Amino acid sequence: MAAAPSMAAAIAASLPAPSTAPTPAAPTHEAIPASMAKVIDLEADIPLTCVQLDGMVVSKIIKHARESQGSSAHGILLGLDLDGTLEVSNSFALPQHINDDDDKSVKGIARYQASMLRSLKEVQADDSIIGFYQAMSLGSFYNQSLVETQAIQQDKLRHGGIVLVHDISQTARGNAAFRAFRLTRAFFDAYKRNNFSTDSLISHRLTFSSILEEVPIKIRTSPLLGAFLETLSAPSTSPVSEPSSASAQASVALPPSFSVLNLGTNDVNKNLEQVIEAMDAYKTEEGNIAYNQRQIAREKAKADAYVAKRKEDNAARLAQGLAPLPEEDVSRLFKIPPEPSRLESMMLLGRIDAYSKTLEETSSTGLVKMYAARGTANV
Amino acid sequence: MPLALASSAVHVRNIAPGFVSTPGRAPTSTTVHPVALFSILDHYLRRTNAQERVIGTLLGTRSDTGEIEVRSAFAVLHSETSEQVAVDMEYHHAMYELHHKVNPKEVIVGWYSTGSHLNTYSALIQNFYSQETAPHQAIHLQLNAGTEEGQAAGVKAYVSSPVGISPKPENCVFVPIPCELQFKEAERSGLDLLLSAAKGNADEFPSTDLDVLDRALATVSDMLDRVLVYVRSVLAGEVKGDAAVGRYLMDTFGASTEELEKGAFNTSLQDTLMVSYLANLVRSQAEVSSRLALTRAS
Repeated sequence: MAAAPSMAAAIAASLPAPSTAPTPAAPTHEAIPASMAKVIDLEADIPLTCVQLDGMVVSKIIKHARESQGSSAHGILLGLDLDGTLEVSNSFALPQHINDDDDKSVKGIARYQASMLRSLKEVQADDSIIGFYQAMSLGSFYNQSLVETQAIQQDKLRHGGIVLVHDISQTARGNAAFRAFRLTRAFFDAYKRNNFSTDSLISHRLTFSSILEEVPIKIRTSPLLGAFLETLSAPSTSPVSEPSSASAQASVALPPSFSVLNLGTNDVNKNLEQVIEAMDAYKTEEGNIAYNQRQIAREKAKADAYVAKRKEDNAARLAQGLAPLPEEDVSRLFKIPPEPSRLESMMLLGRIDAYSKTLEETSSTGLVKMYAARGTANV
Repeated sequence: MPLALASSAVHVRNIAPGFVSTPGRAPTSTTVHPVALFSILDHYLRRTNAQERVIGTLLGTRSDTGEIEVRSAFAVLHSETSEQVAVDMEYHHAMYELHHKVNPKEVIVGWYSTGSHLNTYSALIQNFYSQETAPHQAIHLQLNAGTEEGQAAGVKAYVSSPVGISPKPENCVFVPIPCELQFKEAERSGLDLLLSAAKGNADEFPSTDLDVLDRALATVSDMLDRVLVYVRSVLAGEVKGDAAVGRYLMDTFGASTEELEKGAFNTSLQDTLMVSYLANLVRSQAEVSSRLALTRAS
């Protein structure tokens, strides 16, 4: 246990200035190895490069997402960050929003969260929140609530937290899909100012693809879990039947599965419908924005005309030797509506893009599968 | 899908003795969801040095036919000394309340412990959980993580049955019942992901659908090669053909492909290409549209 006191000293030494952490605290102590400097990261200076998902979290999220299909499943991720890797070691589901009093349900969820964290701490589980997860379908996860939640936690959490999205439909197709995101700096900046006018979009260079930035994910299984899974997928013969006969039923708890090769394309219909739905929504939103902009233009033209007329009058009055009329505040006379926020339309575009991307992927794998099927048919 | 090395013992149906009245059916079999297993393993990893085994509560559903589906599990604090055993009941209740809020369908069905020993304390804890699950019987799931030498990893399930002339809580017989791993097909790919991670191919994530398909096709191709080798050796007379294997092969390769030949392939191909084209078109339109939004001010 010689390392413990020196590490504690190093933490103490690094408190005022984290950059001095690598220097040894005192000559009597052992020098802190360079690797230790990476462990002691009080100010969250090391940028996140990777998210590491524990096997238990993977299965928990999949189960939760599948069970609450239809409504969106979401929950909290727990874990800690170490040397640029955010280790997600546990998660728990949050109760669905109950539609009565909004304030009440928010409080209820906060209470739920607090007592869950306390309980987990008691059994030596990790209890620091590092983000949240959300289930989605057919690749689309852009919505306002996700962005809002992420914006709130980006302020509060160490490293800003991450959002993990899980695609139920893709998992059902045989490819368990997890992706981790956080908000880009540009978007977060614009969001904090609550300004999504055209000028702001241009200055922040925002399109739907630059709202979120993806963080690469690694899956980790603890050695214990890995060994257990191996045992499950290894065939074991029943001692009752004779092991020598080739037809002895080898039983496997986890038989290999080939659901990926399923030719069925049931999802495509739904996917197409959703693309169309999203496009309709986008059309409506665009219409609203265009209407607003025309309104603005009209009011602006009126105000300009008024100002021009007043100037003309004044010039005439000056020529006649009269005192000029006072310059009135134009903005009080004409209500110029504020420029419409483009956030919603940006989100909708993102949704359209995500849906069609899924569509593209399913059709491309569909092509491969069709040729494979024809290949076997010709044999 | 059995979870442990099968034993040659026959599962004895636990018929409720005359002096215990159990409404409903006694548990006849259990199925376990992977989440429950993984939670137990995680809890076992996080135990303190002093703890020899960990216990926790199993949540799940019961069916009318006596099958119990274990769907999740949470850890419960407990302490065992040579004199006494204590289970933190308050913690157990609080945690159950929390779980119940998220998933009202799941109720307490029993408890788990790690290791492979059943002792007096097990009987006492079983007695406690029987009160929790009353009027139903509690089940006991024993997970052996396989960390001790000479023991295989596996899961066993038990129900308890009172024994002795005067029933006492610390006296009971644990009667094994069948226990299987169960999950929905949609969750299968998650397990595949974990399996490939456990085998050390963690770098392949995140993979696209095409990558996954590629791997599956490669496996199929390998299997075909194996079958081909076997069939050839049978034909050459090196190995005696197995009738059962032959029957399986016949069933697999005899699948009808008439539909494909009747032009269905071309129609389907056209549809797929059309969808692909459409998807690409929509994507590029969306991209153009988002760029246009950035330029309109000028």
